[in-house]
Amino acid sequence: MPFASPDPAPGARPPGRRSIVFDAKRCVGCVTCCKACPSGAIRVRGGCAVADPELCIDCGECIRWCRHDAVRAATDTSADLERFKYTVALPSLTLYSQFGKDVEPGQVLEALRSLGFDEVYDLSAMCDMHASATDAYLSECGGPWPKISVTCPAVIHLILLRYPDMIGNLLPIEPARELAAKLLRRRLSAEKGLDPGDIGIFFITPCAAILHSIHHPVGLESSYLDGAFGIAELYGPLLRAIRSIAPVENPPPLSARGLLWAMAGGEIAGLRDANTITVGGARDVLRVFDHIEEGKLQAVDFIEAYICPDGCISGPLAVEGRYAARRTVQQIVRRHSRRAGEGAAVPEEKVRALLHEHFFDLEEHLQARPLRPLGRNLEEAAARRRGPG
Amino acid sequence: MSELYGKSFRIRGGDFEHGGEVATRIKAVCKDLGIRPDIIRRLSIANFEAEMNVIMYANEADLRFEVSPSDLRVVVADRGQGIPDIGLAMTPGWSTATPAMRARGFGAGLGLPNIKKSVDEFHLESTPGAGTTLTYAIRLA
Repeated sequence: MPFASPDPAPGARPPGRRSIVFDAKRCVGCVTCCKACPSGAIRVRGGCAVADPELCIDCGECIRWCRHDAVRAATDTSADLERFKYTVALPSLTLYSQFGKDVEPGQVLEALRSLGFDEVYDLSAMCDMHASATDAYLSECGGPWPKISVTCPAVIHLILLRYPDMIGNLLPIEPARELAAKLLRRRLSAEKGLDPGDIGIFFITPCAAILHSIHHPVGLESSYLDGAFGIAELYGPLLRAIRSIAPVENPPPLSARGLLWAMAGGEIAGLRDANTITVGGARDVLRVFDHIEEGKLQAVDFIEAYICPDGCISGPLAVEGRYAARRTVQQIVRRHSRRAGEGAAVPEEKVRALLHEHFFDLEEHLQARPLRPLGRNLEEAAARRRGPG
Repeated sequence: MSELYGKSFRIRGGDFEHGGEVATRIKAVCKDLGIRPDIIRRLSIANFEAEMNVIMYANEADLRFEVSPSDLRVVVADRGQGIPDIGLAMTPGWSTATPAMRARGFGAGLGLPNIKKSVDEFHLESTPGAGTTLTYAIRLA
């Protein structure tokens, strides 16, 4: 059967391997999501939208466009937290941009802790180090050019599915969130004497694509993260908690270079080399990838590509509007860069040494997921490709 | 051999803006047909080089792509200046590219040799002043 059946119980994990759930009770079959889907994965069957799990890249455009609140991400629940003795929240840097320009990242982290996590962790330092590792890698690798960022899992899926020849262009460095979870688990199990399996590290995500990458990773045997909560689900409780948390007088500066990763342009802003491109939004990404496939962009070193139009701050599970969120990121970055300066968090020699020790490496080769041909054999496929008449 | 699928494309000389699009469209057809990825890759290299040759050196051309049970075949018939010395044109590194073309990263003199290297069958015919017909094929069996 080419399509998964609609999920009967909203809230349960979707059938197959996807992270997007269509609610049969709310879906009116209006095909808005079908038209919005950049992968052509959605059909309406029996009055309810269903996504073909082979074609879906978890970009969440269907969540963004549905006017009937019938599409959701199958995020984790607080019951998933109870499986662990010690829980850590690792928020996407996008979370800092959701509460207006005057709220400090430190307040957001404190609010998150107050919701019941044992520990919270700021990702900006790891993003900063990731930028240094990218710089070091680009200076040492021999192509093929351009290299493409691996931050957006929907972009990776798009390449595995439709641009398998470009797998070699993907930057073979683990995403910052995975590197952070790996280090954190090691540190906590040493410091607290915990079994690594008793530590639950949860990402606070602006999108379904990262959620999916945790439960069905590529390039890793298994994710270092244990699950994810959507920003939208935690937004109300976080907002209430933030109101009761006073800003700290002189909070320790965070990496400005890392904080910028919340939005499109942030990842390349931290790179030494400016021979880079930022592209956001599914349709533009497809266009740029067609150009790469045509060999047109070989003179570019690095491409930062996001399936969401403005990077992670415009993720389908974010709450704040993307333009306001961008302004907030800029304000926070300005405050922190004034205090911390613009330099890299970790010295270059140290990053290069880690690179040579394979600290940043993806653990598994990325495998293409080629689309099925139109027929069982060449004759049948050719007949279908010719079409009727 | 019986043709299972065929499609023609028009390529215009000087149309750098759309350079590579024919190769991309043929690649999409090949994926639909379930052609092996290594064969698609070889065909795409040849198609891209052939397409860029037309764009850089000819006035216009028709590129015909044909699929039979035994091979993928491409015929590029251009109307252009022709190639006076085919032996020279096939020499790796020999090029008549202008500095402007080289500035775009083309004109290394490897186009035709690259095509020949990527395919199983290669035939080049040219009438100076009239045009060039390039035929190449990759076996499927």
